[in-house]
Amino acid sequence: MPFSSLPKKDFFGRQVELASLYKRVLQADSGQAQNIVLSGHRGIGKTELLKHLFGQLFLNQERIVPFLYTANPALLSAKTFSKSYLSQFICQRLAFEKKDQSLLYRDGITIDGLATLAEELGAVWAKEILDQYEQCSGDPIDALRIALLAPHRSALSTGMPVAVLIDDFHLVKDLHLDGVPDHRLASLFQEPMSHRKTPHVITGYMAELQEMSVVSGLERMPVPPLGSEAVSSLVLALLSVHEAEGNVPPLLLRHLGGNPYYLGRIITRACVKNNPDEKDFWHTYIQEIMEGTLALSWLTVLKGYFPDLGQRRTALAILSKIYYTIEALSGQRIAKAFSLTDGQVYAILHSLYLAGFIRGEYGSFRAMDDRVLRDIVDALSMRELQAKPPHDLEKHFLEALIAQKGQVVRFEMTLPMAREAELIVAQSLEQIGKNLNLNQDSVGQLQIAVIEACINAIEHGRGMDDKVYVSVAVDEDQMEVSVESAGQEFIIQETGEPYRDHEAEKKAGRGWGIKLIKRFVDHVKFEKTAYGTKIVLVKKIERSAGIHKEDTANRE
Amino acid sequence: MMPKGYINNIGAERLELTSEEFIGRGSKKLIVNFTDVQFINTIGLSIFLSIVQNMLESNSQLCFTNMKRDHREMFEMAGLIKHVKVFKDERDAFNYLNGRS
Repeated sequence: MPFSSLPKKDFFGRQVELASLYKRVLQADSGQAQNIVLSGHRGIGKTELLKHLFGQLFLNQERIVPFLYTANPALLSAKTFSKSYLSQFICQRLAFEKKDQSLLYRDGITIDGLATLAEELGAVWAKEILDQYEQCSGDPIDALRIALLAPHRSALSTGMPVAVLIDDFHLVKDLHLDGVPDHRLASLFQEPMSHRKTPHVITGYMAELQEMSVVSGLERMPVPPLGSEAVSSLVLALLSVHEAEGNVPPLLLRHLGGNPYYLGRIITRACVKNNPDEKDFWHTYIQEIMEGTLALSWLTVLKGYFPDLGQRRTALAILSKIYYTIEALSGQRIAKAFSLTDGQVYAILHSLYLAGFIRGEYGSFRAMDDRVLRDIVDALSMRELQAKPPHDLEKHFLEALIAQKGQVVRFEMTLPMAREAELIVAQSLEQIGKNLNLNQDSVGQLQIAVIEACINAIEHGRGMDDKVYVSVAVDEDQMEVSVESAGQEFIIQETGEPYRDHEAEKKAGRGWGIKLIKRFVDHVKFEKTAYGTKIVLVKKIERSAGIHKEDTANRE
Repeated sequence: MMPKGYINNIGAERLELTSEEFIGRGSKKLIVNFTDVQFINTIGLSIFLSIVQNMLESNSQLCFTNMKRDHREMFEMAGLIKHVKVFKDERDAFNYLNGRS
């Protein structure tokens, strides 16, 4: 289905990305469009974005033909892939030209059927491509090449560029010839991607895409988690679909990390009960991570990479160790801890990386920044490795999640407008970080941002109350620092952003403060308060599930 | 040069003076070791901009070593990193400046 089942009004928080993609794809008209790869976590909404792009291109303009193809793991032989790709392209191309949406749903149409359809509709270009395809049908590689170049050939014949949108593109690396994998097949995309009148927008599992040479030169567009406003709107929309009322606990919303797939699953399942309350949502969450669709979807991924049970258990044990350790672990340390060879460990780590369970940099590996996944790994390892019964698991998660609720530690400081007063806050943050076992890198970045926020407050507040009020709140997964001063109003009402002091910016380097703050924290808010102005900085803090830094001296 | 602690307007101005002295004495190669730098603010960063400009104008080479990742990111954001060479440690910088790498 190329169109999204989600109505435009319920597609939240992606307007910027959608507008940017739409604008860039339209540049195909002048041959300026680039190929793009959409990157983001599993479930973050890349497919929805692609489908909405298709819908917008199909319905709102007539210059660029949209073609959306979703790679299917069951259709990866060169022969079946080329047929499915070609027939879907021709159907969608004709549907766009004739403004006849029924042509989008001609699943299973034969090549002969397509040829007849093309003739009936007077599409000479399609007939020519189909004839050529038939002539090459004895050679699956040639047939595949013709199918992949069909959008380009149609653009040459008709003068209308084609935006090729491919979902789950990573599957293409598994194209095969009668069951024998052949990496050359994926590289056949190189040629169609080189034509400026057929820009490709692809998506899929990023770690796997990164390993495909055909993707290496493509521009990457990140699809980030939904922001808090989009999450609130999505929650309301989901509740209204189920005709339910209820307040999803804010802590649970934060726990779900702005992932629309996770949100959809939890709310849909919780709404089985009419008007679910806070307890129902938490209960649903725990069921989902223990044995629900969320747990099952990640388990399926794990099984895909580790079909052998013994190997899967080892992978899960390694995964669990990585998730329970704050700092990144090197392959050598893991090999030593599990009495495995470096080669064995790297093979497992590589698969876990490709599957999206871990992040890797410079030979060290750490957990993904995904609390739901962490809980699922936790539940899986308790069940599979420690053989804990479901009742124990439920109790464990209830205790762990309820404990989070009251865990907010607050500090407050009042600074004089004195030289280097900002250092007092920065040093305090460091000590708070040490006391609470927080990730040092994250605290370091927050320190840099807080120094700038304090300097701004001192600059704007001088001569007024001569004080800056700083408050630090640390909870389970984030640090929030607010810096308030009685300074002159410096916020633009409409945007909530500070005025830019163009005079100050003319001086070398000034004006970088806000840019730097935004770079080093996850969220910044500028507020007008009764006292003056306040800047609130929020930084996510990575922590493992209650386990602290590994005592390497004792363990290894 | 081996700056210490907090590089704000005061710390960076001191560095600027020192670098000008070096240039005045005809030095064409300068290494700034960031090992002991704890924080840099944007005012300090802007003064670094003048240091880099002075070095470029006098056709001198400037190397940074032992930088923390976050500090490096700040310099990248300010567009300064493309005008200097960054090395892991002083030895690598010396080797580079002496044409041994």
